Amino acid sequence: MLLKLKAKMVNTAMEKFFFIMLSTCCLFSNNIKAVEQDFQFHGFVAQGLIDVDGSDFVNDDASISPELTEIGINASYQLSSNFRLAGQVVYLNGGNRYAEGVRVDYALLDWSVYESLDWQANIYLGRFKNNHWLYSSSRDIPFARPSIILPQSVYFDGFRDIAVGGDGAAVKISHSNDDYGNFDFNFSYGTSPVSDKQAEIILSEFAQGSVKQDSDIQGSIYWQPAYSPWRFGVSYLDSDFSYQANDNGDLFFDGNFSFQFYTINTLYEGENWEFSGEIYQERFTTEGFYHPLHSKDPVGQGMYVQSRYKISNELTFLARYERFYSDRDDKNGERLEEESGGLIPAYFAYHRDTTVGLSYDFSSNLRLRFEYHWFQGAGRLTPVVLPNPQVNDSKNWQLWAVQLMYWF
Amino acid sequence: MLVFLGCINSTVYAVEVIMHPSVSTPILTTSQLRRIYTMRQIQWADGRRITVYVLPRQHILHLRFSKERLQMFPYQLDRIWNKLTYSGLGVAPITVSTPEDLLDAVRKTPGAIGYVESIKDVEAVNVIKIKS
Repeated sequence: MLLKLKAKMVNTAMEKFFFIMLSTCCLFSNNIKAVEQDFQFHGFVAQGLIDVDGSDFVNDDASISPELTEIGINASYQLSSNFRLAGQVVYLNGGNRYAEGVRVDYALLDWSVYESLDWQANIYLGRFKNNHWLYSSSRDIPFARPSIILPQSVYFDGFRDIAVGGDGAAVKISHSNDDYGNFDFNFSYGTSPVSDKQAEIILSEFAQGSVKQDSDIQGSIYWQPAYSPWRFGVSYLDSDFSYQANDNGDLFFDGNFSFQFYTINTLYEGENWEFSGEIYQERFTTEGFYHPLHSKDPVGQGMYVQSRYKISNELTFLARYERFYSDRDDKNGERLEEESGGLIPAYFAYHRDTTVGLSYDFSSNLRLRFEYHWFQGAGRLTPVVLPNPQVNDSKNWQLWAVQLMYWF
Repeated sequence: MLVFLGCINSTVYAVEVIMHPSVSTPILTTSQLRRIYTMRQIQWADGRRITVYVLPRQHILHLRFSKERLQMFPYQLDRIWNKLTYSGLGVAPITVSTPEDLLDAVRKTPGAIGYVESIKDVEAVNVIKIKS
């Protein structure tokens, strides 16, 4: 309870910080035209329809749903040559995918520590976004990500609120070199408040206690050779969580979770063809929780490859394949089914998705997107820790979605 | 042969890079220009902040500037700018609606950089030579 209260207090503090920042920006920008290089604001609105057949990914009754809303507004104000304030508020509604509502997406002080013609070093203090994976910082920005639904193996919506960023400090160092290309080094340390809804999405509605993220350290390096259409990256994440059981009759016990996640990724940007892919390995350690002596340490692996083809300036085609299994020693889930006494079907151990999509640009800031997914497995459906095979009773399931997006 | 070369010349140099007169940099290399437009260099050598102006992403002059001057595709710039703008990491160039607005903005903003189609009617800005 105390932890939940603390999480709420952190959230309230972040909201206050954001609104003070926004008012400061507005105060200093009575004549926006005159100070447009110091003050900028941008935003986006996206609304779609989504239909899932065979799982509770979006809703429980398999009907066509309008729960595909994303709205955001952000502001940036240059306080001085070295300091800048920036913040963004978003409203998201994705049905069962994540908690519906308004969030402070980021609210930070950007301190430009060092600048030269070929080096930049910045420290970000406050609530920052995860900038370590290929699409982690743009996962909520409808027009900046490659598809309506991102590859769930890496960008699992069930973990969204924890993976999207953190409260703490982040560092970015960029170096540009005429001979060797561009280098980016990112490091971040911070934790995310875990809401009741997020705990329910990850654990189960039956978990009555509180979840807390104790620490989260992430790092990544990106390299783009000089004038090359290719870019390469590696990232590392190490995070610890704890579960404090509710004294008044919880089904679960106190527990500790540890999560390590390593990725390598590449991006190719040609005139008409674009290619990207991420390969990763994760280690998810559980101590306690199910019963005080429980201990499990599976290693999961996943990857996706994606290609986009620009048919014209307006029309882009997308094709993607991804696969993931939560335990490399049990790729087809036989052991999972056996150990659970048949309660959890084998297809909960993996997730595969084949996606095709089209997007059409009506103008420089209005786009319509459509996509179709064929899924196999329930390894990326929620709740994660205590799966629900009564609702998710199909190994194969499909999804289509259409979304109209506007941004400025 | 001369006619042929003339055609290439007019295609390659159909977009000119301009700056506010306060910037004392007569020549930029293509890689410097790329750094400035990808927001990897945000200050001039004298420490003055660079204000970058662009046209909307589907404007024909923007397409030509991206390809011919930066040797990049507009969607690559979009990816970089969107990431900066919507994740709080930095600021992107300021988008103006028309070439006339762009010229006007560069003229009025110390430290500004932009581009025009023709240097015939350009006054009160510096035209910058780009070497590869």
